[in-house]
Amino acid sequence: MLKMSIPSFRKKNVDKVESSRTIGVRENTGYKVFLVFNTILMALIAVATLYPFLYLVAQSFSSEKAIMAGEVKILPKDFNVSTYKYVLSMGDFLKYYKNTIVYSFIGTVLSLVFSSFLAYPLSKKELKLTKYLTPFIIFTMYFGGGLIPNYVLVVKLGLKNTMAAFILPMMISTYYVLLMKSFFAGTPKDLEEAGELDGLSKFGVFARIVIPLSKPIIATMTLFYACMYWNNWYQAFLYLRKEKWPVAYYLQTIIRGSGANDQDAQKVSMNIRSCSMVLTVLPIICVYPFIQKYYVQGMMLGGVKE
Amino acid sequence: MKTKKILSMALVGSMVFSLAACSSKDESTTATGVTTVPDKIETTTEAEKKEGYEYGLGKTFHSDEKVTYTMFFSDASWYAMQDTWKTEGVFKKIEDMTNVHLEIISYDSGDYMNNVTLDINAGESAYIIPKIYDDSAFVDGGAIVPISDYVDKMPYFTDFYNKYDLAPDVRTITRSNGKYYKLPGMKEQNALNYTFVIRQDIFKAAGVDVEGMEATWTWEDLLEALKTVKAYMVSQGMCKESDYIWSDLWCGGGSAQGNGGNLLNVVATTYDVNAGWGMGNGLRFNFDKDEWYFSPATEEYKQYLTMVNAFIKEGILDPDTFTQEDDQATTKFYNGETVIQSVNQSQMATTYSKCAENLGEGNFELYYTIPPRSKLYNYSTAGSNRLENGVMISQRALDELGEEDFIKMLRFVDWLFYSEEAYTLCKWGPKDEYYEIKDGKKVLKDGYCCGGLGYGNNAEGTLTDIRLQWGYAGGNFWYGHSLAEMTDNYTDELNHYVFSDVENREIPRLAPGVAPTEEQNEQINLIATPLISAVNEWSLQFIIGQKNLETDWDEYIETIKSNDYEGLVNLYNEVYKASK
Repeated sequence: MLKMSIPSFRKKNVDKVESSRTIGVRENTGYKVFLVFNTILMALIAVATLYPFLYLVAQSFSSEKAIMAGEVKILPKDFNVSTYKYVLSMGDFLKYYKNTIVYSFIGTVLSLVFSSFLAYPLSKKELKLTKYLTPFIIFTMYFGGGLIPNYVLVVKLGLKNTMAAFILPMMISTYYVLLMKSFFAGTPKDLEEAGELDGLSKFGVFARIVIPLSKPIIATMTLFYACMYWNNWYQAFLYLRKEKWPVAYYLQTIIRGSGANDQDAQKVSMNIRSCSMVLTVLPIICVYPFIQKYYVQGMMLGGVKE
Repeated sequence: MKTKKILSMALVGSMVFSLAACSSKDESTTATGVTTVPDKIETTTEAEKKEGYEYGLGKTFHSDEKVTYTMFFSDASWYAMQDTWKTEGVFKKIEDMTNVHLEIISYDSGDYMNNVTLDINAGESAYIIPKIYDDSAFVDGGAIVPISDYVDKMPYFTDFYNKYDLAPDVRTITRSNGKYYKLPGMKEQNALNYTFVIRQDIFKAAGVDVEGMEATWTWEDLLEALKTVKAYMVSQGMCKESDYIWSDLWCGGGSAQGNGGNLLNVVATTYDVNAGWGMGNGLRFNFDKDEWYFSPATEEYKQYLTMVNAFIKEGILDPDTFTQEDDQATTKFYNGETVIQSVNQSQMATTYSKCAENLGEGNFELYYTIPPRSKLYNYSTAGSNRLENGVMISQRALDELGEEDFIKMLRFVDWLFYSEEAYTLCKWGPKDEYYEIKDGKKVLKDGYCCGGLGYGNNAEGTLTDIRLQWGYAGGNFWYGHSLAEMTDNYTDELNHYVFSDVENREIPRLAPGVAPTEEQNEQINLIATPLISAVNEWSLQFIIGQKNLETDWDEYIETIKSNDYEGLVNLYNEVYKASK
């Protein structure tokens, strides 16, 4: 399991936030009533969130006939694994799955490298250009070039139908860069100076001192970027031909019933759709419970300013 | 301070200039008419052997030198394009015959229009853009050629247009500048698509002979027939008195947005009014008065509502029809709970196989009947407009090829989309290779099947599907053509209901084309959108019985009056008169 410690100078912030949640709250009757209602409410929300997924899982293990007859609620009916066998034996699904894994891996690595390269210098207030560059970067959060100019750019660069068209346009997220920037800004200057005194270059300080001390934000960003690439279908819709699709886009086409406007359109069976959805979200669902705390932590660490 | 003042003045100046530019009235704001589309197209009498290529009516287009044209392709996931289509299938055969290499840019059919729109707007369009239903988004951009300027150069198009009198139909796609931008798929006559399938075994057992009565039956006759069938089913314990034996699809949630979709369109057409999928802006044309009127405000509309309401009042038609998802409706039919439902040509095979799966082979009999008529009119519901989706040609082709080579390309397009030779090639493949003529009818040879042609069951997987393997019978090439060509692959059942409709029903006259400008269109939509929404809401309440047709009708008329249906009619008639 992923295990990382938060540096003590960071922990102070987290503890401050954690303790503020409990200070001043008394174990009186009102609080107990609140707890009961809160638990019920949270349970209801949990059920509402979980049910669609359980329903999908149940459908994926049921026969199409049972689904059509509306007999599948929460448990599979006519339990079978033939749909899984069928989906996994289809060349297409595995091909798209492989594409997704490749895009997510390469994209995440590149995103982390370039985002941290950008965030680190921006975190240095003493650099004169920082205060002029930061607004330009923030500007891109609110204003984009627009769909057509972006599309033309990618096409004219000769990137259409390449992996680069999928990764490059979303490789650096401004929001994530800003989170990293404020995390890096909290790294004690003394440590960096000590590194420099010991003969490290600027890059050496960054690679050997700052990055090792920034594991929480790196973990969070890894998760953010990986999820972003895993779930993204829009870039594929814009730039990729069929053989290069990620599984998310393939899933999208089978869910909506590709070619719904055509009279000769054929719907993909419900159990195949459900099974594909389950298989697609499975990796994220498996990993998420173990690293979800870094989501919250990373946000807090990047977002809280001293 | 001075700089600020200058800057402010400059900004104000530029704003005034922009506003003035916006308000200037240019020629395009006035409709110039649809009558510029001629009744017959005069073809140019050029030699049919041009320098570098051969073309002409009855001839195969052939380029002396190999040429390449780019073409978009709508790739359907259920018969996705394979490399073999290019190396030995449909594209290869086209190239062999014409010496034209088609460079295919394919997009998934579900996102086809989005991708094509993006490419066109980005200036990256292919030369040939097939499978276009609505071209309105491209008309003003200048990226698409006004093809009406060139159709006289296309012998196959011209021949079909003149032979089957398609001018009134083509006028319906003509824009306010008098031009059209899409080469439409053209049909000699519409073949009925949406109709009804019944459980013939139960009808027969109940003593109802649909086959004998369908030629002249009315909706009242259908109601009586279904009452008889239901009484029989109740007596046999097949259903309860409270059950509905008709629960239809394409009317509720997804496919019809809860507005009655197909069923209301079918019934309303027989009363000569607009409803369901055919609601549009509610307007219909009165040929005697030469003007448009709002059909949901007419006595015929009230009669149509009364009729549909009767099916619900009598406990025959399930009121859930107008809210449920399609799957819910079909499941009831496949399980034998209902005995009638809507069906279209592409659903016939599925309907049979699902019934067989659920009811067991040999335990049921299906019959495809034609929709009843109303007491007022004997109208077919196949539709009056004989145009299909079509092909646009990008301005890029004209710019890059130059006019002479552009016309050469058009003549290739003409052959590909309008000649019988290309139609048959794209649909059946080369003659004697995959199909042969038996008793005057095209049939696939042994060893082959084709989902696209609707026959050739490949349950054992021993047959080769010519659509999956080589791309024949796909949806990109063959639309329209003569009735004989369109129906040359139909099964006996399909032929039976299509030709029963042709023989027993009349095609209503096609309303004249009206070409509003963009601004006029906006005005029309501004009134029509809330108005139609009110009409749909009231209509469903009348049908389901929440409102009473006798006591609430006046209130309904008042409501749609307050939504300005009269204003819509006046506006539309003005546009119509201006564009005459």
